Amino acid sequence: MFFHNFKYTLKILFKSKMLIFWTYAFPLILGTFFYMAFSNIENSEKLEVIPIALVETEEENITYKEVFNALSKEGENQLFTTQYVEEKEAKNKLSKKEISGYVVLEETPKIVVNQSGINETILKLVVEEVEEMTTILKNVATIEISKKITTEEGRYGEEQFETWYTEIYKKVMEIQNEQEVNIKDTSNANLSYTMIEFYTLIAMTCLYGGILGMVAINQNMPNMSNKGKRISISPLSKGKLILSSVFASYIVQLIGLSLLFLYTVFVLHVEYGTNLSLIILLALVGSLSGLSLGIFVATIFKVNENTKTGIMISVTMFGCFLSGMMGITMKYIVDKNIPLLNKLNPASMITDGFYSLYYYSTHERFYFNIISLLVFSAILIFFAILSLRRQKYDSI
Amino acid sequence: MKMKIMNYHYKKEKGEKMKNCIEVKNLVKEYKEIRAIDDLTFEVKEGEILGLLGPNGSGKSTTINCILSLLKFSQGSIKIFGEKMDVNAYEIKRNIGVVFQDVSVFEELNVYDNIDYFCGLYIKDKQLRKTYIEDALHLVGLENYKKFYPKQLSGGLLRRLNIACGIAHKPKLIFLDEPTVAVDPQSRNNILDGIEKLRRFGATIVYTTHYMEEVEILCDRVIILDKGHIIASGTCDELKHLANIEEKVTVEGIELSQKTLSKIKEFKNIEEVNYEENILFITYKKGKNNLSELMDFLKEKKVTYNKIFSERPTLNDVFLELTGKELRD
Repeated sequence: MFFHNFKYTLKILFKSKMLIFWTYAFPLILGTFFYMAFSNIENSEKLEVIPIALVETEEENITYKEVFNALSKEGENQLFTTQYVEEKEAKNKLSKKEISGYVVLEETPKIVVNQSGINETILKLVVEEVEEMTTILKNVATIEISKKITTEEGRYGEEQFETWYTEIYKKVMEIQNEQEVNIKDTSNANLSYTMIEFYTLIAMTCLYGGILGMVAINQNMPNMSNKGKRISISPLSKGKLILSSVFASYIVQLIGLSLLFLYTVFVLHVEYGTNLSLIILLALVGSLSGLSLGIFVATIFKVNENTKTGIMISVTMFGCFLSGMMGITMKYIVDKNIPLLNKLNPASMITDGFYSLYYYSTHERFYFNIISLLVFSAILIFFAILSLRRQKYDSI
Repeated sequence: MKMKIMNYHYKKEKGEKMKNCIEVKNLVKEYKEIRAIDDLTFEVKEGEILGLLGPNGSGKSTTINCILSLLKFSQGSIKIFGEKMDVNAYEIKRNIGVVFQDVSVFEELNVYDNIDYFCGLYIKDKQLRKTYIEDALHLVGLENYKKFYPKQLSGGLLRRLNIACGIAHKPKLIFLDEPTVAVDPQSRNNILDGIEKLRRFGATIVYTTHYMEEVEILCDRVIILDKGHIIASGTCDELKHLANIEEKVTVEGIELSQKTLSKIKEFKNIEEVNYEENILFITYKKGKNNLSELMDFLKEKKVTYNKIFSERPTLNDVFLELTGKELRD
């Protein structure tokens, strides 16, 4: 009889148009919308290569030349197209808007631009950054040399100064290069808006699955429906009824989630990363949390089914809003100002789980989210069971 | 399983004393300060159809919900098949079928699947279930609607489906809570025929309604409820004696002078005479040949009329006599 109820609950859930819309169709529609909206934003935000000119002077400035040469190398990270010209020609090109600006490579480089804009700002920032870095390195080197002179005074002649300087400078440059490499590696894993939106979309789908659980519980509760009354007076135990119904709704929910994954991966070409087993684990646990939320709402709130559905949708949408669905900034604002709120928000736990899986090489944060979701589910199920243990009702 | 089928068709031998199928003793149900059921005591014998008659809010459905252990009750005891009824009394529940007042079927399932779902909560054997479903479909006359979904059915057919879902597992005890509310005459007749068949098969039925005609047709015994109290109980004939009238005569399309009307009021056995808008309505306390005497008198006085007919008192008259209000108030 467990299987009998399980089979028919599956059939009923699959044939319920309202449920299928909210748990299957709505996430797909929203996913398509995200894809159309956010991928365009990202494309429009991609930087174009900035044409600039460099004017060499008698004061040779190797550092800047190397930096601009590196940033002008053809490839994914190319920022500038650089040409070495006389200052007069540079002025000419600038007036004709052939270049966004030019840099006169003096000891302290001079930037010349015609207007304020993104390209001009980037050029200015690069020059300032290089200047700042060079100054820091020079200062570090000078301090190191001074220490050498102080500690080994008299044992080395003046000729050693240049050797020390070169050694220390090399060392510092090595350190800086290493840092550069590190920064470069991390930037490859930078998240786009779209990815965060898709994570929140998955979180929403997991939580919307709770509506299925809620409906499955409602149909067995005599105080919620006449069908519930009829089922309650059957000789099938409440435990078997609830368990088979909940199991069926979990299966329906997972099928919906799988459809969303397949659609986003194969149609919208979303890349969730390579750690498939952990992605599946998070989806399973996330769905469980959605299901437990549905069971909790079904058992605790003594209102009709439509109101319960309204509660589920509202809670889910608000949770997703806080975790960044309607704007990535919201997640950071909540994380910064009320971190506890996102620690209690299942949508945020799911989103953060995916985020950490994609972003970090270690899995501490991922497992923290998994455990948080399990604890969240356990607490809700505990309260639901307390309520479901009630055998008779004061009124129905 | 075979035993169960035989049990279902079990009929008492003539003269054998009928056991109590339901025993309700001193049942009290309170909603905060309101007593919905006030010290209710009654029994239902095996194989009988007991009618619970009363106006809306009289406590009929509440009584059923208490018997079924769906509702908590404040005092009293309930036994079914001689055993204490409880939420976990699964063996008792196995032999109970309920048809609720509101249609309780799944919109997402067709007629056959709806019956199969509810029947499957009681009967595990698929083959046996198939036979039972066919029997239920035949009983309510839905054989040609197996693949129809509830929204494709008319109100009457939907009610029939509701009944089929409640009785397909062939229970020994059936609760029918106002099963004919808002149905067309054809479906009502079909439903009443079905209930008659269930009685013939030996099922014990508790039938709640506020349609007294149905009670008169179907029920072996009637309990009349008002405000959670039993105000009268017995067979229909026994109850009608409580109405204190024997006959009701109605004459339509008649024109009477005040003098003739006064003469009629002087007839023997008269309880009450009303004359309004060319309709004469007379109730008699007792007596035979009341109708013929009236017709002779009207002929003698050369009074013409369109239609004249006589009725026995109804349960509504009983209710009116006992409570001063109509059953459908």
